[in-house]
Amino acid sequence: MLETGLIIRALMRNKIGALLIALQIALTMTIIVNAIFMIQDRQTKMQRNSGIDEDNTFYLTNTIFGQDYNIQAALHTDLDTLRKTPGVIDAIQINAIPLSGGGWSSGVQTEMGENKDAIGTAIYMVDDHAINAMGLELIAGENFSATDIQWRKSGQSTWPSKVIVTKALALSLYPDDWHTALGKTIYISQNQSIEIIGILKALQAPWNGWDGVERSMLVPFQMESKGSRLFIRTEPGKRDLLIPQIEKALAESDKGRIIRRLRTMEETRERSYQRHNATNKILTTVVITLTIITGFGIVGLAIFSINRRTKQIGTRRALGATRGQIMRYFMMENLLISGVGIFIGCIGAVGLNMWLVKTFQLSPINIELILFGIIALFIVGQIAVLYPARKASLISPATATRTV
Amino acid sequence: MFSYYLRLAWISILRHWGLSLLMICAIGLGIGATMTTITVNYLMSANPIPHKSEQLFYVQLDSWDVNEPYDDGLNPPVQLTYTDSTNLMKANKAFRQNVQAQAYGVIEPADKDLLPISVTARANSADFFAMFDVPFIFGTAWSEQADIGKEQVIVLSKKINDQVFGGENSVGRTIKFDNNIFKVMGVIDLWQPKPLFYDISTGAFNESEDVFVPFSLIAEEKIRRSGNTNCWKPSGDGMAAFLAGECVWTQFWVELNSEQEKQDYMTFLNAYVEEQKQYGRFERPLDNRLSNVMQWLEQQEVVADDARMMMAMSLMFLTVCLLNTIGLLLAKFLGKAPEIGLRQALGASKATLFSQYIIESACIGLAGGLLGLGLSFLGLIGIENLYGEYMQGLATLDLTMMVLAIVLALVCTVLAGLYPTWRACNISPAQQLKSQ
Amino acid sequence: MLVMNNISKVFQTADVQTHALRDFNLTVNEGEFVSVTGPSGSGKTTFLNIAGLLETYSSGEFTLDGEDIGKLNDTGRSRMRNHKIGFIFQSFNLIPDLNLYDNVDVPLRYRGFNAKERKRRIEENLARVGLASRMKHLPSQLSGGQQQRVAIARALATDPRFLLADEPTGNLDSEMAQGVMTLLEEINQQGTTIIMVTHDAQLAQRSPRTIQVMDGRVSELELHLATANQQAIA
Repeated sequence: MLETGLIIRALMRNKIGALLIALQIALTMTIIVNAIFMIQDRQTKMQRNSGIDEDNTFYLTNTIFGQDYNIQAALHTDLDTLRKTPGVIDAIQINAIPLSGGGWSSGVQTEMGENKDAIGTAIYMVDDHAINAMGLELIAGENFSATDIQWRKSGQSTWPSKVIVTKALALSLYPDDWHTALGKTIYISQNQSIEIIGILKALQAPWNGWDGVERSMLVPFQMESKGSRLFIRTEPGKRDLLIPQIEKALAESDKGRIIRRLRTMEETRERSYQRHNATNKILTTVVITLTIITGFGIVGLAIFSINRRTKQIGTRRALGATRGQIMRYFMMENLLISGVGIFIGCIGAVGLNMWLVKTFQLSPINIELILFGIIALFIVGQIAVLYPARKASLISPATATRTV
Repeated sequence: MFSYYLRLAWISILRHWGLSLLMICAIGLGIGATMTTITVNYLMSANPIPHKSEQLFYVQLDSWDVNEPYDDGLNPPVQLTYTDSTNLMKANKAFRQNVQAQAYGVIEPADKDLLPISVTARANSADFFAMFDVPFIFGTAWSEQADIGKEQVIVLSKKINDQVFGGENSVGRTIKFDNNIFKVMGVIDLWQPKPLFYDISTGAFNESEDVFVPFSLIAEEKIRRSGNTNCWKPSGDGMAAFLAGECVWTQFWVELNSEQEKQDYMTFLNAYVEEQKQYGRFERPLDNRLSNVMQWLEQQEVVADDARMMMAMSLMFLTVCLLNTIGLLLAKFLGKAPEIGLRQALGASKATLFSQYIIESACIGLAGGLLGLGLSFLGLIGIENLYGEYMQGLATLDLTMMVLAIVLALVCTVLAGLYPTWRACNISPAQQLKSQ
Repeated sequence: MLVMNNISKVFQTADVQTHALRDFNLTVNEGEFVSVTGPSGSGKTTFLNIAGLLETYSSGEFTLDGEDIGKLNDTGRSRMRNHKIGFIFQSFNLIPDLNLYDNVDVPLRYRGFNAKERKRRIEENLARVGLASRMKHLPSQLSGGQQQRVAIARALATDPRFLLADEPTGNLDSEMAQGVMTLLEEINQQGTTIIMVTHDAQLAQRSPRTIQVMDGRVSELELHLATANQQAIA
C-alpha cells in the first residue's frame, strides 16, 4: 500500500510543523556528522605510534645549581648508577621528551648553502644507549659507537658528523626511496655536513600537533648544561617501583641539584593528548544529547499531531484501515520528513565541513560518514516515531462516531 | 491581569507536563551547552587590563630572512632580536617601554631546612611593573639605574615570599638565585592576568612568574633564559655571538598615551629600520607593527580553535533546541484552538491572547534558563576536569554570564514562541465553536 | 444479511458495570432500509459501533453477510469494514488536510485498487453526489450538506453491501437534510442495505422499517407506526 502521495498532500497542508522537524533533523545531521568526523580525526592522531617503549619508560629533570659543579663527571656518575640499578634496562641523558610539547627543532637539507629547501626535524641529543633506553627499532644502518659521542657546550653552534634519522625524515629528504638515505650526507645550519648512519622505524617529535611529528633525528651529543633530562627504561612491570627509588637515590647522591618532574611516558602521552581526549568526550556528549533531543522532539510532535488527528485516525480505521496501515502511515510520514531533513542535512554537513576546513584547517569529510549519518538519522526517526505510531494504531475506530 | 496570565500559564504547563518538561529540558540543554562554551570563549578573549589596554602596544619588526619570509610574509616575527629590543630600549622614545624574556633558575633559601626551589622567572626592565600595573604588597619596582647598572635586584611573587620568608616583609633582604645574591626590592600580590597578555609566546594562559629580575643580567649570564627562540641565520659560538645574531626571543612593549604619540613612535620605528638597513639588516620590505593589547591577543589567536569550534557547535545545538521548542509550542497552542475560540467568544482580544501565550512561552524560557544555568555550572566543572590545568580559571561563571544565561533563554524562547502565538491568535473563533 | 443474537455490551469501569446493550436481537435482510431510533443513552451508538465492527461485543452471536464476526481479529474486522461496510457520520469526518478527491480515495487506498480503478471510482461517485466539479476543493470550502455528500461518495466508493449512517442529517438544516435523505433512498433502491441511526422520528418515518432501542434492548415497531404516543407506551 503506497500512500505516499496522500501523505505528501496532507503534509503540505501543515508545512510549518513538518518543516520544523525536517530542519531539526537537518541541523542534527550537520552537527553529528561533523562531530563524529572530528572525533575520528583525533582518534587517528592519538593512535599514532611514538616509537618508544611507553609502558616501561619514564624521565626526570635534573636542575644543577651548585657552584663549581663538574657537570661531565656528575652525568657519568648518574648514568653509571642508573644503568647498574637492578631492573633498569638502560638510561640516557636527553634534551627533549617526545610528545612533551617542548623541544628543539632544526632544518636539514640535502644540498649545501643558503636558499635551499630545508626540512624541519626534531633534534634529540643522546648517546649510543638511546636506542636501547627508549626501546627504538633500528631498521637500517647502525647505532652510534661510544667514540661518536661529543660534549656539547651551552650555546655551541657546531654539530657532530653522524646522525640517525627516522624513516619519515629519510622519506622527506629522499622521497623516491627512504633506503637510499643511508650513508648520505645532509646539511644542518645550511652548510654543516652530517652523515646518516642509521634509520629508525619511528620516533615522534615533542609536538603532537606538528605536521612533521614523525620526523626526528638522533644526534650523538651529551650536553654540558645545568638543566637536562634523564630518560630511563625499566624491565616490564618494574617502572612504578623504581621511580621513587631512583628519585631518592639521585637526590641523595648529590646535593648540588634538584631532581624533579618525574613522569612516565604514559602520563606524557595522556597529558599530550589531554585536550584531544577532552574535546572528544565533549563532542561525544554533544552527539548523544543532540540525538536524544531530536528523537524526543519527534516523539513530542508526533504525539501531539496524533492527538489532534484522533478523530481522523478513527475515521480511517472505520473506513477499513488496519492497525498496521495506520502505523505505516505515520512511519512513512516520518520517513518523508526525515528524507527532506536528511537531504538538507547532507548539504549542511558538507557546508559546515567546508567552513571547518577553511577556518580550522581540518581535513575534508569522507562520504562513508555522510552515508552513516543518513542511515543513522533515518533509524533515529523511525525509532522515535514508533511509540506515537503504535499509540495511533490503537485508537478505536469507534472514535469516528463520537460527536466531540 | 499579569498574575492571571501567570496562573493560566502554570495550569497549562502542568496540564501538558510531559510536553512542557520536554521543552524546558531542550532549552535547558541548549542554554547549558551554549553558556558553557560562551563562558570559555569570553574568558579566553577577556581584556586582561581593561583600563590600559588602549595605551599598551606590542612592537613587531620584520627582521626576517628575505628568501623565506616569516609566516609566509603575512606577519612579522612574534618576537624581536636582542639587538633591536636593546636599541629601542636605549632610544627611550616612548612614554614607557619594557623589554622582557622568559627565564628560570633555582632559589636556595638561606634557611638550610628549606629545600632549593626551582622557579620560573621574567627578565624585564624597570617599567614592566608600572606599565602593567603590577600590585605590590611590599616595596616597589627597581629603578632604571638598576637596569643600566646591571644590579642584582629581584622582585618576588607572593608565593615565593611566603615560601622563603614566611610571608614577612622581605624588602632589603637578600636571596640566593642561581648562585648569585640578589637584593629583594619588592613583593607583589597575587597577579594572574588572563590571558597572560604580556607574553603569550609559550601559551596565553600560563601562570605568571615566580620572580622578576633585570633583563640586562641575561647578557651578563647571571640568569638563564628560556622560552621560544627562533633563528633564521646561524650564529657563532658563545653568548656574545648569540646576542648579536638574528634570533628572536625578546618581547618589547611601549606605553603611548595618544594617537599622536603612537604615530610619532611608528615614525621612529620606521626610521630605525631604515637606519638598520644600512648595516645590511632588515632586507624585507618595511613591516613594523604597533598592536594594542586586544589587537595583539586577536592577532595571536589567543582564543583556542577548539573553543571557537565548540561555540559554533553549541550555537547550532541551541538552534536545534529552539526549533524543537517552536514545534512543540506550535503543537501545544494549536491544540488549544477550541479554548482560544471560546476565549475570543467570551471577549478576549487578539492582544490579550497574545500576552497570555507569550507569557506562557516566557515561563517555559525562564525555567529552561534556570535549568541551563545549572547545566552550565556542571558543564564548566566538567570542562575544567577534562582539560586539566589548561582550563584552570577559564571555567567560572561570573554574574554577567549568569544574567546572560537567563536573558538568552528568555529571549530565545519568546522568539521561538512568536510564531506559534501568532498562529494561535489568528484562529477563527466561529469555526472552532461551530464544530463543537 | 445482518443477524444479531443476544448481543450484550458491558463497559467495565473501576467498579461499576454499565450494560450498554443487553440481549440485543436483530435481523436485517438484504436490501432493507432500517432506521434505528431511541433517546440518547439508549444504546443506539453502541449498536451502530458493533454493527459497523467499530467495537467488539461482550457476548452473543453476530453474523454479517454470512461471516461470524466473533471469529475475526482486528485486521479481519478492518478488512470487513473496508470491503462490505460504508460509513456516514453525523459530523461528516472528512479529513480536513485532504481535498475531496483524496478524501474519497482514502478507503480505496486501503482496499488496494490500482490507480486507474481508484480514479474511475472517485470520479464516478463524486459525480453521483453532484460534486464532480469541486474535486480539488478542501472540505472547509464546502457547506455542511455538500460535505455530507462527499462523505456519502466516500462510503459508496468501495461498493459496500451495507451503509451505516449515524445521524447523517444531524448537523444539517432541513432542506439539506431532505436532499441527503433522498440520496440515501436512491442508493437503497439500487440494492445497498442501509441502517440509519437517528433521533429524528420524522426522518425515521421515511424508512420502511424502524427499530426502537430502549435501555439497550430492541423494541421493534412495525412499519410506520412509530409515533410519540407509542414510544411512551413502549
